[in-house]
Amino acid sequence: MPSMEEYAKQSLSDRRNRLDRTPDELAAAISGQPAATLAKRPAEKSWAAVEVVCHLRDAEEAFHARFQMFLAMDDVQLLPADADRMAIDRQYLRCDAREAVAAFGRWRAETLQILRKLTPEQWKRGGTHPQRGRMTFDDFLSLMCWHDDNHLDQLRRAVAGQP
Amino acid sequence: MPFAYYDRLTKAQKEIYRRSDGITEVRLPRPAELHPLVGSLDVALRTEKRDDTQRATERLIRGLTDALAIPPVKVEVLAARPHAKWGELHGLYTVERGKPPTIQLWMRTAKQKRVVAFRTYMRTLLHEVGHHVDYALLRLPDSFHTEGFYKRESSLFYQLVPDAARPDAKPAVTSAEDWARVPIDERLARLERTPNDLARLMRGQSDAALSRRPATEAWSAKEVVCHLRDAEEHLSGWMALILANDDPVLIEAGAAARWAEDRQYARQHAGAAWDAFGRRRDETLTLLRALTPRQWQWSGRHARRGRMTVDFLLSLMAWHDDDHVAQLRRALRGE
Repeated sequence: MPSMEEYAKQSLSDRRNRLDRTPDELAAAISGQPAATLAKRPAEKSWAAVEVVCHLRDAEEAFHARFQMFLAMDDVQLLPADADRMAIDRQYLRCDAREAVAAFGRWRAETLQILRKLTPEQWKRGGTHPQRGRMTFDDFLSLMCWHDDNHLDQLRRAVAGQP
Repeated sequence: MPFAYYDRLTKAQKEIYRRSDGITEVRLPRPAELHPLVGSLDVALRTEKRDDTQRATERLIRGLTDALAIPPVKVEVLAARPHAKWGELHGLYTVERGKPPTIQLWMRTAKQKRVVAFRTYMRTLLHEVGHHVDYALLRLPDSFHTEGFYKRESSLFYQLVPDAARPDAKPAVTSAEDWARVPIDERLARLERTPNDLARLMRGQSDAALSRRPATEAWSAKEVVCHLRDAEEHLSGWMALILANDDPVLIEAGAAARWAEDRQYARQHAGAAWDAFGRRRDETLTLLRALTPRQWQWSGRHARRGRMTVDFLLSLMAWHDDDHVAQLRRALRGE
């Protein structure tokens, strides 16, 4: 699995294609799995498959909002997000994984629309991430590729009952 | 046609009666300015707390006397109505020499001890204010129950509760702009009450009742609670963004209907959503109560609403609470 730094060396187009594939890869990873399997946590503190998908869905909405901010203002100070709290508050375990993949796919298509229209100048726009410091659109594209890989891997492990 | 008791009046009293009967309206200069106070009273009455209702009643009556440029009155809100064979006493206006006039209002029914409906309470309040208006504004030597008197009471009611004139009348929910005229402490108190307002409405309701949509396109009570939870995260996020940035752009996240679908509100548990909303609300209140006067005026830019200060966001949240508490109540009634 490439790291974020390794993704950063790939072309914009390769990275965008990687993002484009994720909804189908998620759908394939949960295909044929019963709801009980998808909602089973492999360990007490490890997310179930459905929680992983819901996280990707909500993270995608958050990425989308951040990108709109990058285009509208200079160097915004981004706020931290608590993914574990979101999983509890938004009751991920009660969700249907396939519906969550569909919702993720809709958000992903909208994110890619933004990323396909950026000018070279706009790729340098960005904000300050609470943990990672200043990040441009370009950096975020690499982060999202790595984030997709990471959670796809986590999802496949969860389906197999491995934390 | 005068009421039957007219014939028993003296000549001087009949003259007062006729003057009273001839005045059918009391115009408030800017009734919209009093709407937030009416909304607060509606909310306070629903808390069923006498102290809250007393304060909200005092503020509204003071607002009315100020608007009409007449002397203030002393206000007392009492619990259960006194009753006897003649019926129940709803309100009382008294004037004693050397003392300020007093309005007493009872907020509970005599026998069942139930809190009276908002509109009934408003009617009683305006009835007693009407007596004060007779003496202080219209300069009538006595205050009779004439047809004109009741029309004046109605004219005040419909200026203060304009929605009541419509067949699809809703509770007195105010706009964010109206809330913006209410003191910060009162707006914070409104926010603080909302989790309890929701709990009171949801208590004892089955999951089926909480999950039932009153119409295809109208949210169930459970969806309303999930929405309030997510909106709380979103709006407090805007506040945090304003505090961390200089005049940031406030991005509208997914539309509320999209949240409901994407996040699958219909599959969620209403009690757990209420719990999460309550925790977020506590955090919002902690953040807001720690603000300096300058920070209240910091702002962000919103595509549709323009520049919004933290102060205005608080008003927006108060209105948003009103709106959705009313929606939840309607959903449970199947409306």
